[in-house]
Parts: sequence; structure tokens; C-alpha cells
Amino acid sequence: MHATIQKPLTEILSFLKKGEKVFVVGCSNCAAKCHSGGEEETKFMAERLKGQSVEVTGWAAPPDGGSLCKLSIAEKMLNEDHKDAAQKADSFLILSCGQGIHTIIDATGGAPVHPGCDTIFGGETVRDDYITEYCSLCGECIVEITGGLCPLTLCPKGLLNGPCGGSKDGKCEVDSDQDCGWQLIYERLKELGKVERMYQYTEPKNHGTWSKPRSLEVGLKKSAFKSLAGLRTIEQE
Amino acid sequence: MSKLSEKLRSKEFVVTGEVGPPKGVNIEELLEDAKRLLKDTVVAVNVTDNQSAVMRIGSMAICHLLKQNGMEPVFQMVTRDRNQIALQSDLLSAWVLGIENVLCLTGDHNTLGDHQQSKVVYDLDSVQLLKAVTGLNEGHDMAGNELEGSPQFFQGAVVTPEYDPVELQIIKMKKKIDAGAQFFQTQAVYDVKTFESFMNKVEKFNVPILAGIVVLKSAGMAKYMNQYVAGVFVPDDLIKEMADTEKNDRKNKAIEIAARIIRELKPTCQGVHIMPLGWDNTVPEIIKQADLA
Repeated sequence: MHATIQKPLTEILSFLKKGEKVFVVGCSNCAAKCHSGGEEETKFMAERLKGQSVEVTGWAAPPDGGSLCKLSIAEKMLNEDHKDAAQKADSFLILSCGQGIHTIIDATGGAPVHPGCDTIFGGETVRDDYITEYCSLCGECIVEITGGLCPLTLCPKGLLNGPCGGSKDGKCEVDSDQDCGWQLIYERLKELGKVERMYQYTEPKNHGTWSKPRSLEVGLKKSAFKSLAGLRTIEQE
Repeated sequence: MSKLSEKLRSKEFVVTGEVGPPKGVNIEELLEDAKRLLKDTVVAVNVTDNQSAVMRIGSMAICHLLKQNGMEPVFQMVTRDRNQIALQSDLLSAWVLGIENVLCLTGDHNTLGDHQQSKVVYDLDSVQLLKAVTGLNEGHDMAGNELEGSPQFFQGAVVTPEYDPVELQIIKMKKKIDAGAQFFQTQAVYDVKTFESFMNKVEKFNVPILAGIVVLKSAGMAKYMNQYVAGVFVPDDLIKEMADTEKNDRKNKAIEIAARIIRELKPTCQGVHIMPLGWDNTVPEIIKQADLA
């Protein structure tokens, strides 16, 4: 899940030149689940913009829970299903994560785009109304020794060899409402009977796999992950 | 070899002090105070590294100036602001400026300081930094490249005896020793009994530990630390002792309390690290009253 929140209308309006014709695009997967850019929010954004005298040529979100960040879905939506309205637009306002924004650049052959949302993190949907971050998408998972909990994500300092001295009553020095990530790891390892893993030295993070931009060639038999750490080929047996 | 390492090796009871660089370039007062109050009273002087994540003059420059003025500095280095390249480069730079002691820390998070929107680095943690220092001492950098001439740092680390659960601190302390830590300075200690119990647990490590003494300025400061500062616990009787003291007599009381704690701690550890937090002029008298002069 890519968690997103909608930008304030005043900020969105500040992106638009006088007389600029806009097509509003939403996403029916993650942004719909965040209520930041599903069908309902996309339609509502179009109405709000019209209420501010912005010329809206149309709006659309992928059907059947589709993700905007899949290029074929975005292409069908804008180049077939909503072709006329999309072609009349000077620009596209995207209510989705940053991946979706670029998907629209690709789908339209380079049309001007405006971000309607802020992409805040990738998270677990704990409940329909609560999403929280457990993974930083670093490209090389290290949770085997920490009982499945990621210190890079749960500790604001991303410390890999145990807690700093800054937590108090089990809470983080950065935010007294937030549990110390390393105390969570310690408790979890105790539960699993693997507390000796706390003594294991962890090398500095390889930032190569966390470099940007990264890409993945996907295949049933063979995939290839490209990052500044090099090309990593994965062959399925 | 640094005086600090020699004295700790020969099992002498060692006193270290601390200065915090100012924000701005006026350093006359810091240097004058250090010469007058610390030069002849402590073995070495820690210089904090952008303490509390507040931007100031760097630790290395002040360490160098202390050295020029006849004092032995302890270069504090936090991993918050520099990546591996900058940390190792600064270590080599410090060595050629005559700085022999380094204290490796994680450092307070950016959001606790005055540049809250700055990029949080933490490319390394304190254990990994100690390992990097060990590597430089051995003649290679973190990438395994050979150095043309290597430093011989005496490297230390910190530990918080009153952390709860203390086992987590002890595990990390063990990792720091394995990574190369040769001495420890602790977070502030006020409760001698808790400190003794901590020392019993870490005695097996056989590494010199300097107990942290933060000069207690008022009952308000004590209550504040108890509520907000991690790993610091001021017992009620000390708070009362401070609260019952007239304002103009507080400095004397602060000296008396610090000296008393040092006398009580002395049999259990190899030294004390005095952090006067601005009350630098209390240090000589604390040392005298603690019978260490």
C-alpha cells in the first residue's frame, strides 16, 4: 500500500494558471483506500474545482479497483474510455501516489501533470482506517535477525545494533507516543526465545540497493533488479 | 599515546571534564574558562559534537584549540550528521591535528535540535563507528583500502547505567567493546546503589568506566531530567536537599552533592566524567571536595 493524503485545495489551485483546462485522475486502489483519490474523491475534486471557476474537462478513476500506476490501465482510461475529455485538457491533476503521476505522463505522451496528493509512505493496512509503516523499501531485507521487525523503519535513527540511550519508559526520544523500535525487537526476540540475536553485530546498511531510481524486470522464470548496488538476477527454480 | 589512555591503563582514578562549543565564533570565554578551570584539574576534556542536535562550532576545531592551549581533548563524534566518508575523513583530520582520544556516539535526533527539517544521516551507528575507528587504527578504511599512515586513536563509548531495561544497554556495551571501545563514560549518575548494581553486571568486561557527573543546579533541573531526560534518575532525597537550599547557596550545595557522589562512587569505578553544563567554575572545587586534588 502506498499511503497518500490529499493536498489542500488552495495549494492545488495555486498550480493552475488562469483559464487552464484540467482533467482530474484518481486511482481505485491505494488512493481509494486512503480516501485521497478514489472514484468518489476524484468526482468531488472535479466539482470543487468547478466551484472555484476552474474549467474541468472531465474526471476518471480506473474501473474495478484498478491501480493508476499500471500503464495499460491508465492508457485505456485516457486514450479510449475518456478520450475526448482527456484530449481537451491542458493538464492532468492526479489524485494518487507519485507512481501514478508518472504513469499519466507516460500514458499521455508527456502531458503536463499536477500532484493532487502527497505520497507519505508504504504501509500495512492494519484496519480500514489505520495504515502504518513497517518497511522502508530499502532493497535488502534484514529482519531475519530481528524477529521480523525492521529497525531501519521502527527506529527513527535506523540504528542496526541496538537502541540509543534516548528512549524513556520504552518510548522513543523523538516522540513519546512512539514505542522504541529496539525495545519492540528485544521483546519480540525474548518471546521467540532468540534474545541472543541481540548480540549479533550488523554491518552498515548497503545503501546501493536503496539508491534511486531503481527498476525491476519481471519474468516468471527470471527477474532482474537494478540499483546502484548492481544488477541482481533472480531465477525461479 | 594519550595521557587518558596511559592513566586508565595504569589503573589511576581519572577525572575528565567537558566543554560545549558555542553557536558563533566567539571562543575567547570558552578557552579562558578551560585554561583557568580545567587545564590543571582534569586529565582530558571532552568537546561535544553539536550537542542536543543544535548547530555550533565543530568539536574538532575546539579540540585542536584546547590542544594548542596545553589540554588533552576527547573528540566527541556523533553519527547523526556525517556519512562514512565524512566520519572517516574527519577522524584522519583530527589525528593530524594532534587529537588522540575519540568518543563515539549516536547523537540526539535532529528533531530535538534547532535544524529540525535537516536530513537525518545515521549512515553508521555508534557500534559501527567504533569498528571504523578500529579499522583506521589497523591501517585500512571501511572499504578495505589501505591507508598511507594510520592513526592510533584511543577510542571510547558511552553507556547509560539507569536505562530500563538495563540489559539492553549491557548487550550494546558488549557489542561496543567487541567493536573496539577501550573506555566508557556514562550518562549522569545520581543513585550510587543503582550504579553499583550496574557495575557488578559489567565488571566481567574489564574495561575502564568513568561515571558521569552532571552538576545538579536546582530541584527544578532534577525534576525536569527525571521527567524528560532518558536514563537519568535523581532520587527524591537529592531533590529535597536542593529544594531546601537558598538560591544564593545553590552553587555550594551543587558542589557538595557532586563531590559526595564522587566519593561514594570512587571505589566502584575507574574515574568520573564531570559535566558542569555551564557551571564550569564548580569543577576545581568539586575535585577538591571529592579529595581528588
